[in-house]
Amino acid sequence: MANEKTANEKIDVVVVGSGASGSTYAAVLAKAGKKVVVLDNGPEWKLTDLISSDIWGRRLKPAGGPILLGGKNPFAYANQGAYAVGGAALHYFAQFPRYLPTDFRMKSEHNRGHDWPIAYEDVAPFYDKVAADIGVSGDAKAEEQWRPPGQPYPMPPMKTFPAGEVWRKGAAATGIHLIPMANGMNSTMFKGRDACIYDGWCAVGCPIGALANPLVTYLGEARKAGAEVRGLSNVTRVLTNAAGTRATGVEYYDANKERQVQEASVVVLAAWSAQNPRILLNSATDKHPKGLANANDLVGKFMMTHHIAGTWALFDDDITPHLGTVGAQFMSYDRYAKTSYPGAFGSSFIAAGTSHKTSDYALARGDLFGPELAAFMKRAARGLTHLTIFGEDLPQLENRIELVSDKDEYGLPMARLIHSFDGDAVALWNANFEQGVKIAKATDAKESWPGKGPVMPTAHLHGGAIMGTDPSNSVTNSYGQTHEVANLFMAGPCIFPTEGASNPTYTIFATALRGAEHLAAHWGSVAG
Amino acid sequence: MTAIERRAFVQGAGLGTLAFVVGGAEVLLTPRQAHAERVPLRTLSADQAATLDALGETLVPGAKEAGITQFVDQQISGPPEQALLQARILNVRPPFANFYRAALGAVDAASTKNKGRKFAALSAAEQHDFVGGMRVNTIDGWQGPPSPFVFAVLRSDAVDVVYSTMEGYAALGIPYMPHIAPTQKW
Repeated sequence: MANEKTANEKIDVVVVGSGASGSTYAAVLAKAGKKVVVLDNGPEWKLTDLISSDIWGRRLKPAGGPILLGGKNPFAYANQGAYAVGGAALHYFAQFPRYLPTDFRMKSEHNRGHDWPIAYEDVAPFYDKVAADIGVSGDAKAEEQWRPPGQPYPMPPMKTFPAGEVWRKGAAATGIHLIPMANGMNSTMFKGRDACIYDGWCAVGCPIGALANPLVTYLGEARKAGAEVRGLSNVTRVLTNAAGTRATGVEYYDANKERQVQEASVVVLAAWSAQNPRILLNSATDKHPKGLANANDLVGKFMMTHHIAGTWALFDDDITPHLGTVGAQFMSYDRYAKTSYPGAFGSSFIAAGTSHKTSDYALARGDLFGPELAAFMKRAARGLTHLTIFGEDLPQLENRIELVSDKDEYGLPMARLIHSFDGDAVALWNANFEQGVKIAKATDAKESWPGKGPVMPTAHLHGGAIMGTDPSNSVTNSYGQTHEVANLFMAGPCIFPTEGASNPTYTIFATALRGAEHLAAHWGSVAG
Repeated sequence: MTAIERRAFVQGAGLGTLAFVVGGAEVLLTPRQAHAERVPLRTLSADQAATLDALGETLVPGAKEAGITQFVDQQISGPPEQALLQARILNVRPPFANFYRAALGAVDAASTKNKGRKFAALSAAEQHDFVGGMRVNTIDGWQGPPSPFVFAVLRSDAVDVVYSTMEGYAALGIPYMPHIAPTQKW
């Protein structure tokens, strides 16, 4: 068990987690003059630590606990999570598609899942603000065939390369409109940050600042405005007053494994969809016996993740698979309508042409080994490319975070993330494979095949503290403010009531910015 | 890990090498160099190392000389949060040494049961057939972590040491194009 230590000076706001949502809150509130401390369980990597290597890049990801996995379709937690100040946004792909209006009203339109308590139009201004703040490259006009108009992106689309361009023919032949992917990357110099050089090492951390990771965007701004960031700080509980009506700060263990208390007027939990509910459940008191903000047993519920139907194509020509960015070159919402496929339900989002490294080549034919693998690697190095179709998972009560008897090194219960896809998700996954193979076969590829195995691959995590109109259907309001404790905010994809099918980080930034600006504007009534 | 070991590890990260213990002192080597110099293993036994060498070579030709055993041994001998293994990404629960001991033990136990010899003593053709059986979970009497999962994890380790290094990229004719280059071709 760890040692005890004295409490820290009380501050205005403590933000738990320094990824996309936490860094956004920290920047807004620090710039509003608040004294901000950001706590993250990961270490502080410098940009110069971000070695261009798939092997070394694994240092940015979790190694075991505190989240165990369960269910028929366990979530790819370690691959998606982070062990770094900057969170998963230090190694993300930075694809920045947005959600569409239909995502906010699934219940109204289809009598399935949930409605959000807000509409697309409430979030749209924040998409534009985020783009202006941290830099997005893309073609907004082209996107408007699927969504309402907004501001143009501050940078033109990223360059394209043969490994992406080869998908155009197949897509066109099958009625799919590919347009440039919106990326949180610099196609040109932006706010003093360099333009991308397309070497494809994005997912192990971009050390030149061309990719909008928190270190060079909101977290950097927060620090400049006076926010303090403490890495290797494991938050275990939110502390409350005797009446249970106010959050008073958080308990955490520092880099020396010493117990610390950070008192604050406002607490923001931005530690991702698995850890946020765990912290709430571990914060139980006599006034909150089932966990904080959990009077209606909704904390940790409705966990959702996208399923992935990936199609590989192998060309005889040299299509330079190693060039480009890990973020895809092209995207399409042409199968985004919830009822796009007969017999299946949910949105699908198409992304085509990403840069690949040798570990990707090997994964493309996970069945091969020995001389057959060696031969395939040589061909893949010249001609391999990939098309991804993300599919939507509907919110189900039984997909959940729950505490388990195993304890972490601080003596707090670990949690299990239990996740299973339902029949709709499986049907959608299968339909997306058929779609992907159809597109691939209409290209000039020598060979193509679905990347389908016994495991349904997963990406992106949502839910666990969803927003809604009142405590009967949700944990928070639309700003992430918990219904039960007014000075406790939840940030990140944990508050999403449905998950759409497109990459969520742009929407994470946008909803966090909306929540943070609301908090700053209503500071007096929230902080007390 | 002591403070000195931690510094060496971090320094090694910057150089693209790993910290191995030779004669009581730490030196920074690539796994290939560690293999060539017969650096003593810290966690795996000689039998386990022989099995891993043979298994790695069956999975990806060249893995033995590229130092798969030295790589895995070094990685499972330190704190899990500093490990570079694919096992980390595949949600293997630390300590990672437990997984490798169980996996290699399962391979040899099943090989002995079915062939009367440990895996390293099988012919190349027998080793290939055995690994093919692991992949599709048809090894009679297999006891341990699921054999397809063991196949996937160890195959990833072998791919790492053979193909995910600067040497590996060069062998495939792929420009490495690093922002921050791992030196010594690692």
